[in-house]
Amino acid sequence: MAHEDHDAIYDLLAARGVSRRDFLAYCGSIAALLGLSEAYVPQIAAAVNRGARLKPAIWLNGGACTGCTEAIAQADSPDVATIVLEILSLDFIETLSMAQGEDALAAAEAVFEEPGYILIYEGSVMKGFDGNALRIGGITGLEELEHAAPNAAAIVAVGSCAVDGGFVMARPNPADATGVSMYLQEKGIDTPVVNLPTCPVNPEWVVAILVDVLLLGTLETGAILDKLDRHGRPKYIFGQTIHDNCPRRGHFENGNFVYEFGTEQEALGYCLYPVGCKGPQTYTNCPIVRWNRRASWCVEAGSPCIGCGSLDWVDVGAPFLNRHRDLPLPEVGNTQPNTIAGVVAGIAAAGLAVHAVGMKATGRTSGGAPYEEMKERDKKRMKKGGGE
Amino acid sequence: MAHPAHYREAHPFIFVMTHWINLVSIVALTISGFYIHYPFLPGLMSVMRGMHFFFMFVLLINLAVRIIGAFTVKSATRLGTREVDTDIKNWLPQKLNRGQMWPWLKYYLFLKKEHPIGAKYGVLQKIAYLFTIPLTLAAAYTGFAIWGPTMDWGFLIAGTDAVGGPMAMRIIHYYIMWGFILFTAIHIYLANIEGTDPSKLIFKWEETEGLQFDAEGRVVGGKGH
Amino acid sequence: MARAVVDPLTRIEGHLRVEVEVNDGVVTDAWVSGGLYRGMETILLDRRPSDAFYVSQRICGVCPVSHGHASTMSTEDALGITIPNNARIIRNLIEAAQYIHSHILWFYALAALDYVDPVKALEADIADTYALAQAAGTGVSDFGAVAQRLQTFVDGGQLSIFTNGWFGHPAYAQDMPAELHLIAVAHYLEALEMQAVAAEIIAIIGGKFPHFMTSVPGGTTFVPTEQKLDDILFRFMRLNDWVTNTMIPDTLAIAPFYAGALEYGGGHGNFLSWGMFNTESPEMTDRYMPGGVVMTGRGLTVEDPDPAQVVEFVEHAWYDSPTGLHPSEGETNGMFDEYNTDNRYSWNKAPRYDGESIEAGPLSRMLVSYLRGVQPVQEIVDGALAALGAAGRPEVLVSLLGRIAARNLETKVVADWSLEWCNELIEAVAGGDSSYFQPHSVDQGAGAGLWEAPRGALGHWIDIQSGKIARYQVVTPSTWNVSSRDAEGIRGPMEEALVGTPVIDVERPLEACRVARSFDP
Repeated sequence: MAHEDHDAIYDLLAARGVSRRDFLAYCGSIAALLGLSEAYVPQIAAAVNRGARLKPAIWLNGGACTGCTEAIAQADSPDVATIVLEILSLDFIETLSMAQGEDALAAAEAVFEEPGYILIYEGSVMKGFDGNALRIGGITGLEELEHAAPNAAAIVAVGSCAVDGGFVMARPNPADATGVSMYLQEKGIDTPVVNLPTCPVNPEWVVAILVDVLLLGTLETGAILDKLDRHGRPKYIFGQTIHDNCPRRGHFENGNFVYEFGTEQEALGYCLYPVGCKGPQTYTNCPIVRWNRRASWCVEAGSPCIGCGSLDWVDVGAPFLNRHRDLPLPEVGNTQPNTIAGVVAGIAAAGLAVHAVGMKATGRTSGGAPYEEMKERDKKRMKKGGGE
Repeated sequence: MAHPAHYREAHPFIFVMTHWINLVSIVALTISGFYIHYPFLPGLMSVMRGMHFFFMFVLLINLAVRIIGAFTVKSATRLGTREVDTDIKNWLPQKLNRGQMWPWLKYYLFLKKEHPIGAKYGVLQKIAYLFTIPLTLAAAYTGFAIWGPTMDWGFLIAGTDAVGGPMAMRIIHYYIMWGFILFTAIHIYLANIEGTDPSKLIFKWEETEGLQFDAEGRVVGGKGH
Repeated sequence: MARAVVDPLTRIEGHLRVEVEVNDGVVTDAWVSGGLYRGMETILLDRRPSDAFYVSQRICGVCPVSHGHASTMSTEDALGITIPNNARIIRNLIEAAQYIHSHILWFYALAALDYVDPVKALEADIADTYALAQAAGTGVSDFGAVAQRLQTFVDGGQLSIFTNGWFGHPAYAQDMPAELHLIAVAHYLEALEMQAVAAEIIAIIGGKFPHFMTSVPGGTTFVPTEQKLDDILFRFMRLNDWVTNTMIPDTLAIAPFYAGALEYGGGHGNFLSWGMFNTESPEMTDRYMPGGVVMTGRGLTVEDPDPAQVVEFVEHAWYDSPTGLHPSEGETNGMFDEYNTDNRYSWNKAPRYDGESIEAGPLSRMLVSYLRGVQPVQEIVDGALAALGAAGRPEVLVSLLGRIAARNLETKVVADWSLEWCNELIEAVAGGDSSYFQPHSVDQGAGAGLWEAPRGALGHWIDIQSGKIARYQVVTPSTWNVSSRDAEGIRGPMEEALVGTPVIDVERPLEACRVARSFDP
C-alpha cells in the first residue's frame, strides 16, 4: 500500500477526531479479530476510504435483558464511543438514544425508509399473546421487527436470545419466544441474518462483523454469507470448540480435574470437565478473544462453561454442573440420562435374576430342558441338510 | 448338554479369535467410555482416550473381518450332522427357522417345557447377534460425530444437527454403550445358564459332545442324553 | 387537560411506556407500563437450584450480579448453607464493582442527557472550561480535543445516538454555562471507559459481565491468586479516584442548576431496603447498608424489614394468577387483553409492603443507612446537603434531585468500601484462609434471597423439593418502582413520583422523563 494512501486515510480519520496512533492500533486489532495476519492491515486501512458517510444502523431490543447492549459498551478497540460516533450512525437504540418516545421512533423510521441499513437485533422474538408479550410504542415487537427487517441490508442477531430465543425459549417457553432468522423465515422475509450467539454477545464479535461489513465491504459483495456456517454464524468465530482452545486443555489430557469447588485442584486451575464444563461441545472462541476487554473469561475465573453459545442453550446445558443435560420425561420431569440407564439396567438385572431362579427351579441349569420331539419339518431338515 | 453342536467346526479358530477381540474391545471401550463420560479417577484421561480410540478402530476392523468371514468361512452346522455350511447362514434366520420364534419365546418364558429343536443358533439368538452390527455402526457414527478430528465432517454434522446438537449426540452414544452392556449381560446369561460348554468352546476352543439323532430324529446319544 | 405519552422511554433497561395527564403545566396523574413478559419463573421450574443462579441473572443485563446473588442466597437460605468468609468478601467485591459500574453508566450515559445539552457544549470556551473544571474541583480532560471531536461529529450531519434529541429544550437549565456542558460531555466519554474498567473487575472475579459465573450456591468458584488480587485492587483504586475526583464534583457542580428538582418527584415517601453488602453477621440489619423500612408519613424513622409483609397484586397487570399472594406462594400466568389505563395496562405486577406502595433504590438504602447512623453515609450526605444549602434537612432527599444525589453519593461510599474489602481479602489470604466454597448435600427446603440490586430491593424466593425447584418467584426493584396500581387503585412509586412534576412542553415532557429515569428502571 502506497504511503500517500495511508496519509489520505489518516486525514480522513483525523477529520473525525481519530489520532494516527489510535488508527494504527485500531487496524491491528481488527486484523487480530478477523484472524488475519498483520499483512492485511493495509488492505483494511484502504477499505476505510470507501466510507465517507457513516453506515446507518438501528438497534432493536426484543425480549431482551439489555445485557447485549451492556456488552457492546464493553468493547475493547474500538470502544463504544468510537463505534457510535465515528463508525456507525446508530440512529435508534433504546438504551442509549438521546431521543425518546415518538421522536426516537421517528429517527428509526427515517432510516427504515432508505434501504441498506444494518439492523442489529437484541433479545428474543416474542410471539406470545399474539406478540403482546413485548409492546413498544403502542405496537408489538413482532410488528416492529417485520417493519424493520425487509429494507435492511443485513440483520445481525446479537446474543443467544436473538439467535434462537435463548433462555427465554427454554422449556416451557412461556412467552413463545423464537429467534430472528426463524421468525423471518416464517414470514417469508429473506434479509440475510448473521447470528452471534452467547449470552450476552461478546462485543468483540459484533465489532468484527461491523468491520467485516464496513471495511472489507463483504455485504456488498455477498462475501459475508460465505463466511457463515449452516447456522448463520461466522465460521471464524464459531468454528472451533472452547475445548479446542482452552488453556486448561493440558490438564484435561493429563487427567488433572476439579471434582468439587473449593478444593485444592480448583486452586491449581485444573480442568473443570467433571463439574459439567460444556466447553467440549460449545463452538465459540471465548478462550482466544476472552471477555470484557480481554480481562478474563469464564473458565479462567474458575467456572465451568455453561455453553451459552450453543443453540437451545438452557435445555441443552442444564443442569449446568452435570456432564449430561436432563431429559424431560413425561410425568417424571427432568431426569439425568444415567439415572434412566441405571433404572433400565436394574430392571434388566432383576429380570435376569428372576429368570435364573426360574431356570434353576425348572431344572434347566445343568444341561437345559430335554429336547422336544422332532417335528416332521425338523426331520426333513435333518435329511436334506439344512436348518443352520 | 442340550446343544447339538459344540464341536470345533461350529466355531472355527478365526471366530474364537474375533470373539476374543470383540470381548476385549467392548470391555475396554466401556471402561474408557465411562471414564471419558466422567473421569472417576484422576490422571488417566489421555490413557483412556487413547484406549478408546485404539479399541474403536480394533472393533471396527474386527467387525469387517468378521463380516468377510461370514461369507468365506464354513461354520454353520447342520442339524443332526457335523457338516458345516457358510457362516452367514448362522446369522440370517433361514427359511426353516420360520415358526420357531414363538416356541423359543415360550421356552424362555417357561410356557413350554421342552427345548426347541435347533442347529447352532435359535431365532432370537440370530436376531440378537445380527443386531450387534447396526449397534456397532451406530456407536461408530455417533462416536465420530463427537470426536474432535472428525466432528466437522459433513455427513456427521448432518446427523448432529438432526438429533439436536453435540450434547444429544453424546447422550445417544452413551445409550448405545448401554445397549452393548445389556446385550452382553443377556448374552453371557443365556450362553451359560444351561451350562458352560458354549463358553469352553468359544473361549478355549474346547469341544464337548453334541447330541446324536437317529434317522427318525430320536436322540440316541451324545452328552446330556 | 392533556395526556402525554412517552413510549418507548429510552435510556433505561428494558421497555417502558410513560403516560401522564398534565393540567396547567403540572402532572396530575400517571401510568407506567412495563412492556415485556418472559415468564422467567416458569422456565426455572423442575431445574436445579444452581441452574437458577445462572439463568435468573438473565432477568436483567445491567444488574445480573445482584440477581445471581439473590438466587444463590435463596438456595443457601433454603438448604441452610453458610458460605466461607472469603466467599462473602469476594461477593461484596463483585457487587461493589457492579454498583460502581451501574451508577456511573446510569448517571453519564443514561440520565445526563436530560440535564446536559451536548449542542450547548459547542459554545464553550476551552480556556474557560479548564478554569471551571479547576474551580469545581472536577477532573480535567483534553477539553479541546473533546470539543473538536464533538464539532466534527456534529458537522458530519449524522447524529447517531443523538438523532432527534430534544436539543435546546427549555427545561435545560438556561443559566448553566456552556463550559459545564462541555465538561459533562468530556466526562460522558470518560465514564464509558470507567464503567468498562468496573466491568473488568466483574470479569476477573466472575468470568464475564454481563452475566457472571462464579457465585454458585455454597460460595464462589473464583480463587484469587496474587495476580488476580492485584488486577482487582488497582482497578478499584482507579475507579475510586475517578468517582471521588470527577463523578462527585460533577454531581455537585450540576445540581445547583437544577435545585428546583428538590421540590418534586419524591412520590409516596415510602422506602424499602433489604440491606446490602454482607458483614459476618447473617442479619439483614447488620449489613454494611442495613436493611430497613422508612415511611416518611410516619416520620423520619426506620423499622426493621419484614419479608412476610410482601404481597403482589395483579389487578391492573396482564396476569390471571391469583392476586394478593406472598411471593413464596406466588404464581405467574400471563394473560393479555388490551392496554387500558382504567383496567390492565402493564406486564408489571404491583408488589406492596405492609399494604403500602414503596420505593426501592439507592435513595431507600441511603436514607435507611443515614437514619441507622452508618458513618460514611452520614458524612457524605451531610456534606452534600450542606453544599446544596439544605444542611440538617435530610427530608429534602425525598425528591427527584435527592434520588439522583443518593445514587451518586452511594457510588462514592461503595468505592471507598471496595478498597477496604480488597484489603480484607488480601489479609485473609495472607493469613492462610483458603476456604471459598462450602460443600452441601441437603436437597430440600424453602428460602429467600433478599438483597439489593443497584436499582433497589430484590427478592428471590425458592422452594426446593428433592434437589429440584418446585417454586420460584422474583420481585425485582423495577417490580417495586414500576409497579402498576394495586387493588385499591394506589399508584406505584414511579407513578406517584411523576404526579406534581412540572411540564413546560406537554409534547416533549422532558421533566417527566427525568423523574422516570431517576429510578434507573
